[in-house]
Amino acid sequence: MLVGVAYAAEEGESAISVVPVLADVWPSIVAFVILFLLLKKFAFGPISNVLEKRADSIKESLEKAEETRVEAERLLDEYKEQMAAARLEAGKIVDQSRKAAESMKEEIVAKANDEAAQVIEKAREAIEAEKQAAMVELQSSVADLSVAVAGKLLGEKLSPADHAALIDKYLSEVGGMNDN
Amino acid sequence: MEGFAEKLAHKLHHYSVLPWDDDQGTIAALDPLVLTNYTFFLIIAFVVTLVFFLVAAQKVDLVPQGIGNVVEAGYEFIRNLCVDNMGREGLKFAPFIGTLFFFILFNNAIGLIPGSLPGTGSIGVTATWAVMVFIVYNAIGFKKNGFIGYLKSFIPSGVREMPAFGRFTLGPFIFLLEVVGHFLRPLTLAVRLYANMFAGGIILGIFGIFMILGAQQLGALGITMTGFGLIMLVIMYAFKVFVAFIQAYVFAILTSVYIGGALHASEH
Repeated sequence: MLVGVAYAAEEGESAISVVPVLADVWPSIVAFVILFLLLKKFAFGPISNVLEKRADSIKESLEKAEETRVEAERLLDEYKEQMAAARLEAGKIVDQSRKAAESMKEEIVAKANDEAAQVIEKAREAIEAEKQAAMVELQSSVADLSVAVAGKLLGEKLSPADHAALIDKYLSEVGGMNDN
Repeated sequence: MEGFAEKLAHKLHHYSVLPWDDDQGTIAALDPLVLTNYTFFLIIAFVVTLVFFLVAAQKVDLVPQGIGNVVEAGYEFIRNLCVDNMGREGLKFAPFIGTLFFFILFNNAIGLIPGSLPGTGSIGVTATWAVMVFIVYNAIGFKKNGFIGYLKSFIPSGVREMPAFGRFTLGPFIFLLEVVGHFLRPLTLAVRLYANMFAGGIILGIFGIFMILGAQQLGALGITMTGFGLIMLVIMYAFKVFVAFIQAYVFAILTSVYIGGALHASEH
């Protein structure tokens, strides 16, 4: 490397310039200042604004989201309370209805039983009355018949054939009476 | 090795500050108004940086898209750097730090293109910016703390609270050290960036020359030299890409640290 430096130096100039050259100094300061002013105005400034605006909007969104969350939780609690109340109410209503239905059922069944008992009672009474009437009629018929039979027995001599005919007649008369 | 020395000399010559339109580089003492090989690429970097940001800034919106994302992430990075080193009030220096960082980065990146030079590879360019940073941060310090207040901050509070004897013997000494330290800052800023970018080119050049010389040799030596040169060239090129970013970052972060120190000078 020393050889190289020496070689270049022989041509009348230093190979590595460690002394700032004025031709490098002023363009670098001018370029820097222009670049700084332009970038500050047209690039870094707007980018900063956007970054800050975004930070603000994110913060705002987060705050709004938090608000919404709190509100939602409040509503949920409210709805849960309402739901519980409604459920209680519904239970009560169902209970009441059940009780009402139960009592109604019992009432209906009791009434039906009563009515059935009454109908049976009436029927029984009617049958009894019919029976009594039939008995009374039969008794009177039997008495009449006995009187007639006695009259006949007393009035004519009966041959065995007449006897049989008389019995038949009697029987048929009794049978006909029974048919009524 | 005469060939190697000649080629290296030519390479080094190529890295000298020369008039752009004179390939032979016969003019040693430069006219201040001439376009040099470094300022030529500096101006290209200036145009590229400007156009890139002006175009990209149009794409930055509340809902980011495309290249807007890139430039936004880049600027957010600078803003964070400012807040980290200077606190919330450092945000107003973000455009300054951002311009420094991106201009240096684009200069360094353009230097990565074969055949071009980084504008930051000239001490004239880096020293100008380093002196500018020196003036800016000291001006901020004087403005923020007052003339006396800022100078007083050069002596640590521990020394200021000492008994009179210690204060008057140690105080001036530390003050002097501190002043020297402040003046060293622009020097280190300038040389660090310049040397890194300049040396990157030289190293690539050396391995490039190594490859060419190897190719001119026959046999195993030639193949070995060419292979070695190629491998080193690839590794060094990757390293140079890394350095291009790191040096821009270092320049920007040191500037923000210096400004931060000036802002909070009265606190320590």
